Amino acid sequence: MIKSVSFEKTIFNDIPQKFEAGTTNISGAIGLAKAIEFIRSVGFENIAAHEAKLLTYATEVLSTVKDLRIIGTAQHKSAVLSFVLDCAHPHDVGTLLDTEGVAVRTGQHCTEPLMRRFGIPAATRASFAIYNTFEEIDVLHKSLLKVVKLFS
Amino acid sequence: MSDINELYQQVILDHNKNPRNFGELNDATNVAGGHNPLCGDHIDVYARVEGGIIKEIKFKGAGCAISKASASIMTTLVIGKTISQTKKLFDDFIHIVTTDINSKCDTLELGKLAVFCGVREFPARVKCASLAWHTMMKAIQKSDSDNRKISTEDLVAAS
Repeated sequence: MIKSVSFEKTIFNDIPQKFEAGTTNISGAIGLAKAIEFIRSVGFENIAAHEAKLLTYATEVLSTVKDLRIIGTAQHKSAVLSFVLDCAHPHDVGTLLDTEGVAVRTGQHCTEPLMRRFGIPAATRASFAIYNTFEEIDVLHKSLLKVVKLFS
Repeated sequence: MSDINELYQQVILDHNKNPRNFGELNDATNVAGGHNPLCGDHIDVYARVEGGIIKEIKFKGAGCAISKASASIMTTLVIGKTISQTKKLFDDFIHIVTTDINSKCDTLELGKLAVFCGVREFPARVKCASLAWHTMMKAIQKSDSDNRKISTEDLVAAS
């Protein structure tokens, strides 16, 4: 923003207004405040507990899938589950899961050296959050069985 | 599920499991490497070109079912073809995988290329299917440049 503009001289406003041209991101700021309000109303501990339960359940269920290898097994890790299947490349897995309504991240996850460390070309990653349910993990499981069937 | 079955046809699954012309070619006259840095797919294409005809062609690399099957089918289609015939096949292939999803797939006219008609429904998979073809073109095109490496990220502007 400016204080005044003429052909002779432009006087910019003070910092921070100087760097905030146009309408500020009002809706973004309100949205962020609402999001913080929501997270606080649920409670960090409750969120962490829900995510931990989902991760434990998903790890149990997916471990039963034939030739599925879980990548990253540190204790106390975030609620993410990365895996590879012997029979299908992660991109094929991702496309097929997508058609079943399951969204996952596939590829090298911006960690090419780590992929080399594990000796894999890429991986599929499911991540769990406060809004995910146990039923959704069952859908993921069933969809993975379909993938295995198609490719073996 | 009809779209997904169109993408993963039996022919694709078969070429993925049993890729044809897989391996290196010791007496190759033309070689090129292709890489998709976003997903990690990489492929090397080896060709023996004599008198303007592709006498032999092989490939090596790692990737998804779509990329491997596409490479395998590609080798079977270009063996015995002239460079200009191969260029025509390449253009047809690129058209098939990138054309409007509502346009008809004429299997009679397209012949064996028709197997790739399902790819257009999955924009995220077009690069998987086309990496081998771009790499093959890079290999057979005569060029003074020694740069025989190609990346899908360089192709965005070109395609």
